[in-house]
Amino acid sequence: MASSNLPPRIIKETQRLLSEPAPGISASPSEENMRYFNVMILGPAQSPYEGGVFKLELFLPEEYPMAAPKVRFLTKIYHPNIDKLGRICLDILKDKWSPALQIRTVLLSIQALLSAPNPDDPLSENIAKHWKTNEAEAVETAREWTRLYATGA
Amino acid sequence: MDSEDDMHDANDLDSVEDDFYSGDTGMGSDDGDAHYDFGDNESDDSDDITSRQQQNYTILSEADIRQHQEEDISRVSTVLSIPRYAACILLRHYNWSISRVHDEWFADEERVRKIVGLLEKPVEMPNSRELTCGICFENYPCDCMNSASCGHPFCLACWRGYISTSISDGPGCLMLRCPDPSCSAAVGQDIVELLATDEDKEKYSRYLLRSYVEDNRKIKWCPAPGCEFAVEFVIGSGNYDICCSCSYNFCWNCTEEAHRPVDCVTVAKWILKNSAESENMNWILANSKPCPKCKRPIEKNQGCMHITCTPPCKFEFCWLCLGPWSDHGERTGGFYACNRYEAAKQEGAYDESERRREMAKNSLERYTHYYERWATNQSSRQKALADLHSMQNEKLEKLSDRQSQPESQLKFIIEAWLQIVECRRVLKWTYAYGYYLPEHEHAKRQFFEYLQGEAESGLERLHQCAEKELQIYLDAESPMKDFNDFRTKLAGLTSVTRNYFEHLVQALETGLEDVGSSNSQATCSKSSSLKILGNKSKSGKIKPAGTNSASGAPSRSMDDGNLWSCDHCTFANPKSNNTCQMCEHHR
Ligand SMILES: [Zn+2]
Ligand SMILES: [Zn+2]
Ligand SMILES: [Zn+2]
Ligand SMILES: [Zn+2]
Ligand SMILES: [Zn+2]
Ligand SMILES: [Zn+2]
Ligand SMILES: [Zn+2]
Repeated sequence: MASSNLPPRIIKETQRLLSEPAPGISASPSEENMRYFNVMILGPAQSPYEGGVFKLELFLPEEYPMAAPKVRFLTKIYHPNIDKLGRICLDILKDKWSPALQIRTVLLSIQALLSAPNPDDPLSENIAKHWKTNEAEAVETAREWTRLYATGA
Repeated sequence: MDSEDDMHDANDLDSVEDDFYSGDTGMGSDDGDAHYDFGDNESDDSDDITSRQQQNYTILSEADIRQHQEEDISRVSTVLSIPRYAACILLRHYNWSISRVHDEWFADEERVRKIVGLLEKPVEMPNSRELTCGICFENYPCDCMNSASCGHPFCLACWRGYISTSISDGPGCLMLRCPDPSCSAAVGQDIVELLATDEDKEKYSRYLLRSYVEDNRKIKWCPAPGCEFAVEFVIGSGNYDICCSCSYNFCWNCTEEAHRPVDCVTVAKWILKNSAESENMNWILANSKPCPKCKRPIEKNQGCMHITCTPPCKFEFCWLCLGPWSDHGERTGGFYACNRYEAAKQEGAYDESERRREMAKNSLERYTHYYERWATNQSSRQKALADLHSMQNEKLEKLSDRQSQPESQLKFIIEAWLQIVECRRVLKWTYAYGYYLPEHEHAKRQFFEYLQGEAESGLERLHQCAEKELQIYLDAESPMKDFNDFRTKLAGLTSVTRNYFEHLVQALETGLEDVGSSNSQATCSKSSSLKILGNKSKSGKIKPAGTNSASGAPSRSMDDGNLWSCDHCTFANPKSNNTCQMCEHHR
């Protein structure tokens, strides 16, 4: 898709993402499709994901910004609100979406979700159960997975 | 509403009734041995019922709904001194209950404002020449922007898109908030009217109308397919039967088809029972067993006990004992009698699942008995409805022609058919009632079946008159002078049948509580429910009910010759008894 077909809003958002990236987050549009973004989020400090680099994909549907972007983890992650396929349970990606939100706010929210898992609103039943019955052990597993899958080694 | 009046002009019949009972003609004049004595003419009672029905609900057309809604909005807007759009948001939030809105508002206005997103002091948009739209990030001159009461500016195109997306997502658009994620200011119909496309405005107003019915405790849509009327009900007024202007009768409480005398819980059970799945389960239980080898369910469809499982298994076994067929033969008492089964049964050794199958089979037969009769009355009712329509659409005109009667004078025929349709419905539900009447309550069952039989024959008589006897006048080449007698007779039968069924419904609704159930020999008190049998004719003579042999009524063996009718309760007793089986009253 040529960038000339893109709504000015997407162009502005893209420019700002590239010129003033949010701390710990990088997002760059793909060469072939300016609506498709390669995203990287650094595991937040003091979380079991610290030290990890998590890859995500983000796609802006035709209706954007009236409809929410589609986001998915590509890196395997042990988190009660993220399932095996990398899908994310986050309200602003669903019914709480507002067209006044942006790519930047979405990615910041995902980063915050890594700092504060919410096992009461789980996407992955098993992991959520693990989290609630034995948090220390679940956190350890998350750390282990971060080391195994998210350190780029 | 004209249509509503039409539905209730059953009152017109009162005059006919009066003629019927005061007139000297006596409707039996043609037909000496016809007795119409299965109901007292308690016209006071039926008047009560009619007027009660008129008071406890109102049928609303779409225009009525809009008008009610507008009135409610105006009222709240006036009382709270807030704009109409705000009153609408409040009403929507509190499910269109004006009293709820008032209570909550006056208890804690600040809290209510916060919950629904109504700011006390509207905020103006920032005061600069150019503003940036929070959605498309473009700059526009101030007058090309708009905001909700919070002052967050968005351009007109983005507003239109925002509203449109929300409307296409469904009725949630009625609770729309400002697009700014940190702001919860409500976006009401005023903004929609100002900024949305015509198509979206129309959709929004449809959702608003639907909400007024669907979120409102007091209003429901008529459940008839394609019907667009709604019903406003006076909560707590009892009797749930609704007759919609589309002529569909339904129950306010459960919105199933009207089902008096059966209660909503029983109806739900019965409908569940009728659903193929639950019965199939029982059928399979009764008619199939798992193959002892491969465990697939095998259905037995012939008399022989020698079963061969379907390929590839092909295991041959005995249906009774599930043992291999090769063990069977002379030793076990021949191929058609499995001693092993009989012996095991005698020892009580045959297993629980076998017993369950037996029970399922019995209960299935019992169910089938009631279901068939329920379904038969259902189809009779459909037929009667079709007849009613053909009567309204063609026959009435023809009759008016043949008998030189203005159509306005032939309303009694329509009344008769409406009554037949209604009676079929009641009769149908008495079968669900009978199904759930406990087996061991012998006296109640006996009494119930008696009442049901009487209802059936009474209805048959009315049906006969409205169908066959009417045909004579339809076929006649010239007006017949006894047409007035026919009118009197049919109107009389209609009224008498209506009373009988109304009383029947009441008796069943009170659970036949007046019938003792302590022993099988029933005792009945001087009860109101027994009045339904209204054993006294106007002349005070006692006649057994349902004896008109010419009526074509189902044979209920109520022959005068073998039975006597109890003075007290009218139960038909065999001549051999001198005391009434029902109430022990002496002959
Ligand atoms: Zn805009
Ligand atoms: Zn706002
Ligand atoms: Zn209707
Ligand atoms: Zn009901
Ligand atoms: Zn088999
Ligand atoms: Zn056998
Ligand atoms: Zn008696």
